[in-house]
Amino acid sequence: MAISERVFGSFRRKPKEPRGRLTNLERHETRWGLLFLSPWIIGFLVFILLPTLATLVFSFTDFNILHVEDTRFIWFDNYTRMLNDPIVTQSLVRTLKFFVMAFPLAIIIPIAISALLNSENLRFRRLFATLFYMPYMVPLVSAVLIWGGFLNPATGWMNKFLGSIGIQGPDWLQSTTWVYWALLIVGLWSNGNAIITTLAGMESVPRELFEAAKIEGAGAIATFMNVTLPMVSPIIFYNLTLASIGLFQYFLEPYVLFAQAGDPGGSTLFYPMYLFQNFFQFQEMAYGASLAWVLFLIILAFTAVWFGLRRFWVYEAERE
Amino acid sequence: MAKAQSMPNRDYNASVLNKRMRGWVLAGSVTLFAIVLLVLWLAPFAYMVSTSLKTQQQISDPTSPLWPSAADQFEYEGQSLDILVVPVNSENPAWHDVNGDEFQDAGEASVEPGVYTLALVTPGREDGVFVNPADPEAGAIHWIGRWRALEADWQFAPQWANYAEAWELPSRPFTFATLLLNTFAIAFFGIIGTIISCTLVAYGFSRFRIPGKGFLFLLLVSTIFLPRIVVTVPTYALFVRFGWVGTWLPLILPHFFANAYNVFWLRQYLMTIPREMDEAAMIDGAGPLQILWYVIVPQLMPAIITVALFHMVFAFRDYFEPLIYLSTRPELQPISVGIQQFNAIFGQRPALIQTVALMGLVLPVLIFFLAQRAFTRGIVFTGVEK
Amino acid sequence: MKKHLQVLLGLLVVSSLLLVACGGTPAANTAAPGEATTAPEEPSGPVEVRWFVGLGAGAQPEQLAGQEEVVAAFNEAHDDIELVLEIVQNDVASDTLSTQIAAGNAPDIVGPVGVEGSNLFTGLFADLQPLIDSSGYDLSVYDPATVEFYREPSGALTGLPFAVYPSFIYYNTTLFDEAGLEYPPHSVGDPYVMPDGTEVDWDYDTLREIGMLLTVDASGNDATNEDFDPANIVQFGYHTQFTDARGEATQFGAASFVDGSGNAVIPDNWRAYFNFTNEAVWTDYWQPNNTYLNSDLLLAGNAFGSGNAAMAAIHLWCHGCYSGADFDIAVMPAYNGEVTAKLHADTFKIMDSSANKEAAFTVLSYLLDEGAPTLLIAYGGMPARQSLQADYFSTLDDAHEQQIDWDVAIEMLGYPDNPNHQSNMPNFARATERINEFQSLWRGTAGVDIDAELDALQTDLQAIFDEAN
Repeated sequence: MAISERVFGSFRRKPKEPRGRLTNLERHETRWGLLFLSPWIIGFLVFILLPTLATLVFSFTDFNILHVEDTRFIWFDNYTRMLNDPIVTQSLVRTLKFFVMAFPLAIIIPIAISALLNSENLRFRRLFATLFYMPYMVPLVSAVLIWGGFLNPATGWMNKFLGSIGIQGPDWLQSTTWVYWALLIVGLWSNGNAIITTLAGMESVPRELFEAAKIEGAGAIATFMNVTLPMVSPIIFYNLTLASIGLFQYFLEPYVLFAQAGDPGGSTLFYPMYLFQNFFQFQEMAYGASLAWVLFLIILAFTAVWFGLRRFWVYEAERE
Repeated sequence: MAKAQSMPNRDYNASVLNKRMRGWVLAGSVTLFAIVLLVLWLAPFAYMVSTSLKTQQQISDPTSPLWPSAADQFEYEGQSLDILVVPVNSENPAWHDVNGDEFQDAGEASVEPGVYTLALVTPGREDGVFVNPADPEAGAIHWIGRWRALEADWQFAPQWANYAEAWELPSRPFTFATLLLNTFAIAFFGIIGTIISCTLVAYGFSRFRIPGKGFLFLLLVSTIFLPRIVVTVPTYALFVRFGWVGTWLPLILPHFFANAYNVFWLRQYLMTIPREMDEAAMIDGAGPLQILWYVIVPQLMPAIITVALFHMVFAFRDYFEPLIYLSTRPELQPISVGIQQFNAIFGQRPALIQTVALMGLVLPVLIFFLAQRAFTRGIVFTGVEK
Repeated sequence: MKKHLQVLLGLLVVSSLLLVACGGTPAANTAAPGEATTAPEEPSGPVEVRWFVGLGAGAQPEQLAGQEEVVAAFNEAHDDIELVLEIVQNDVASDTLSTQIAAGNAPDIVGPVGVEGSNLFTGLFADLQPLIDSSGYDLSVYDPATVEFYREPSGALTGLPFAVYPSFIYYNTTLFDEAGLEYPPHSVGDPYVMPDGTEVDWDYDTLREIGMLLTVDASGNDATNEDFDPANIVQFGYHTQFTDARGEATQFGAASFVDGSGNAVIPDNWRAYFNFTNEAVWTDYWQPNNTYLNSDLLLAGNAFGSGNAAMAAIHLWCHGCYSGADFDIAVMPAYNGEVTAKLHADTFKIMDSSANKEAAFTVLSYLLDEGAPTLLIAYGGMPARQSLQADYFSTLDDAHEQQIDWDVAIEMLGYPDNPNHQSNMPNFARATERINEFQSLWRGTAGVDIDAELDALQTDLQAIFDEAN
């Protein structure tokens, strides 16, 4: 910490503005700020607020397209139904299980790969960056088919490769234990955005900070831990938040992958997938909406915690 | 380094050489490590490419090699026969078919032991009837043994025609080019909108003190929390009322009003840009817009380009909304919908599915690669001009 | 104030871009050829009728051409109605239609749609009876029994017979020759001749015997051989293709998971089926498990089309699934003396929410009459109208080099599964989902206790049925 303190010294400490003296300036600032925020505010009111409120209202009804005229307000019945629905708990547990497995890797691996890409010793960096990002550009439907073929225990390449080095490849897609690992592999593989954003952050770290660290005698790892990571921490925070949200909403990959054949014993029936099923397959849009709002609250709670914790580790060039 | 300077001249040159060599070795090993990692990372792509160039027969043939190949075939009596490598020995005897007699009776006209390249006419469970491609007039050869255990002579044979076929999009009156154009058009307009609006909003969130800003920002981020599916139906209903269904508008216009992902990203990136330059400019009398344009945007450029690139990729990946808004207008659909339809239609032709997926990748990857220049070029601001 | 002007300027730029986007987007301006713009309600313009394709067949390339031809012909013949075709792939058709219905943007006509597809939207289809009466449509061309098939419990007639797809055994002649086996019989009651010359009944035990002989591993051992390697199977004897649990089980006799009083039951013959097939997949290996089914070996589900399955039970609409010319069709085996050949039936339905029901009915009757020959060939469906059946098969022959014995198809039409394997159940979508879970479990995992899982299925289905009140 000593190195970063000395390196960052001037950035961290900000003079505290005395209160009362700059009121006019504050108001001026507020007006300008709101002006800049206005596109979002307008868009939010028009495109987001209305539909979102609509789904909230839905969740208090028994809206079902099969008998729209009979729609009635049933208030919290959907929510109490959730409490008694065993699938809700089971699917939530599965989502949490997958979250615990995937979240650490989803944060660490992009950082590791970006660090590699950012290394001075790497040649052809642009090419490597593009190639690591490339999987993300494959549309989901294609990616799922590719992996379905690649991971097939009987004819897929993965097990053939493993077999050639003497490992008996597991049943990636039909075993209840291994299917999560298969989904994890697919998810990490297509996590290109995290790599690129972290890399962009790393590349923007001012060179003079590295020089200062070198002068202090810091080795590669110390530099990474005390200079690079803190400077990139806002972006890591960004990826972390998106990863949490994404993992809580995760269902599309297994949904498409197992649409035809069905998943092993319902083990990939994640909470968002159950939501989707209710919403479309079972035509119970109201129940689906209530499931969605509970998910909203869960994610909100989780994210609020992250937001609250960020002052302890996220270095921001200014504090609000 | 201090050490080097204290050395005598001869050793100084040597140590510089050592350093350079060390530099090369380091560069080489890191690059090598990256290559190994990349090979593993891109293994599925190898599968894609290989499958995209295979014939239908090869894909469903489990004995075929991993790379696109075709077994030699022989045309005989209107059929294409597989050519196999047939060993004839005491365990697997063979007879020439003489005068059409039952082959065991033609005991004397048996085939010499050896290894022959023959074409399989009629497979049997424990025997097979072959014909010699070099000498079909000699008649059939009956061979005892299991033809499945035989190897075919696989030649490397990529089926480039698969790409031509997929390009024509047999299911539609337009070609793949139309899908690409549509996607780029949607992406382009969306990028303009999102860059402008998200930069403005992110600037507002990061450089101004606004009462309740924390709440507003959390509100912004919370718009991502609700699964898109759920909001899609009321949004679709909204656009039906506007009359925008069947056009690109629902896919483009909302981006002119900023979206949470990009604003969040730009704001975070702005966090890494120190305020000193803003303050200096403010002291010089610049207004917020000027600060934005002259101070912030140049430093923000890598992030803005990232936004543009991400939005482009988003336009290539976004699937459900283009589907429901453009279901009546197939000629306006972007590539994700086109590919999915293609996959559904040609589910029985794995080669074509991979082909189309790869074709959809070429342009975005190229653009991404070229745009990387702007990343590295833009980062020159290392700090405050004091 | 200069700064504020700059801000205003900026906003103007933004809004002008918006206007450009609104007015200038090629999509909004160009009316693609053959497309109607949203038609006004006034009588001056033609009435737009939207035809939504995708719940059943109709989204395949070969079928698109036929449909577009019919649409063009209709539009030429009718000035007052503009028929607009909307094609959505089958796997997303249901979701898309749900979205449209929920948003109040439902299409006018839906089809071709089978029993399962319409069950997902029970109660949303218009009663055709008043439209039939008012337009004077002649129902006598149909067999009354086939018309009643489309009468809802409420008494509404929601569809008219259009296409039927009997099912039968497709068999690969090359693979049978290679194994030295006789082809399966082409008529119900005919015996099957085993390799040693004995004549046996054509039932599921026989199917199992020859199925095992037709299942081969990479070294050429068949499944009866003790050296058979189940990890390296290159050819399977049999697969019931492209259907779900109920579709498979109905081959042992038509039944249902729900009885007359709305209770969940596991019919005995269906229990027998799942035990039989579970053994076939995991013990005797003559039917493929999910791993093999999803692999390239069996072309991700199209086992017969891959050429690596000797027999498959599929419907008529799959006559083009296998591109080779070395196949023919045979009758379904019997179970306990009874033959059941499951049936699919497609038709077109009008949405009750449609604003132009009369116009939609005009389109409907066109599709059923003038459009039928083209459409039936495109969909691969047999005409429900007997008068059209003879001609139909001769045109189907054009698609195949070899002479396929279509009499089998006609004969199998006489053994439909009644109740239909796609018949409605309380809380249909949820029940189907639970049944699919059961199916993917036992076909994907070895060592499943079928009876225990069936009992669990019954319990869960009971709960699901009870929910629907």
